[in-house]
Amino acid sequence: MDEDIEAPLPDYSADGVDLSLIRWMLSLTPAERLEFAEDRANDILAIRALNGGT
Amino acid sequence: MVEHKFSATIRALRDGGVDFILVGGLAAVLSGAPVDTYDVDIVQSRERENVERLLAVLNSLDAIFRIQPERRLRPTASYVSGPGHLNLVTRYGPLDVLGTIADGLAYGDLLPHSREVDIGSGLMVRVLDLETLIKIKEHVGGDKDRLVLPILRRTLEEKKKLGQ
Repeated sequence: MDEDIEAPLPDYSADGVDLSLIRWMLSLTPAERLEFAEDRANDILAIRALNGGT
Repeated sequence: MVEHKFSATIRALRDGGVDFILVGGLAAVLSGAPVDTYDVDIVQSRERENVERLLAVLNSLDAIFRIQPERRLRPTASYVSGPGHLNLVTRYGPLDVLGTIADGLAYGDLLPHSREVDIGSGLMVRVLDLETLIKIKEHVGGDKDRLVLPILRRTLEEKKKLGQ
């Protein structure tokens, strides 16, 4: 019976990459990925600006 | 601070009839790789008519070279038709216009390794495939490329598992 139970997917690869994040990105459409990247870039730049551009 | 509008940059290029391939970080993102990127990187066709179309779009976006922005140096046809890299900033954020990448790979060389992607509202953009992006980053081998390579490789593996 044990072999019928699916092993959970690993969250990280052997070289430390967050596979759950990749799977989440792959669940999005290209348009959603683009929107996420755009928002993230603007958020990070806004935080940098608030911290004196560092 | 200039707000980054990747989609607006791409739309302006498409509306202007420019032949180009999206490469770099944004190509990786559109392929599903969770990487940060701050600019739009394109390899343009350097055919004369395309250079004219690209220059018209760059002018409409107020594109200037990022280095010494206070001088407001604008790209010219001789720059855009050459193999070099133009690091520009437009009203929608940074835009890198790359005549060639890696060891002189031009638009025509990359075309068979690209595909059209719908980025919303029917807007299609030609994007370099992840396999080629990985090969190029392996070849270039800069510090930034080495950092992102594991993410790109694992993304490619996960895509294959999902049949994407």
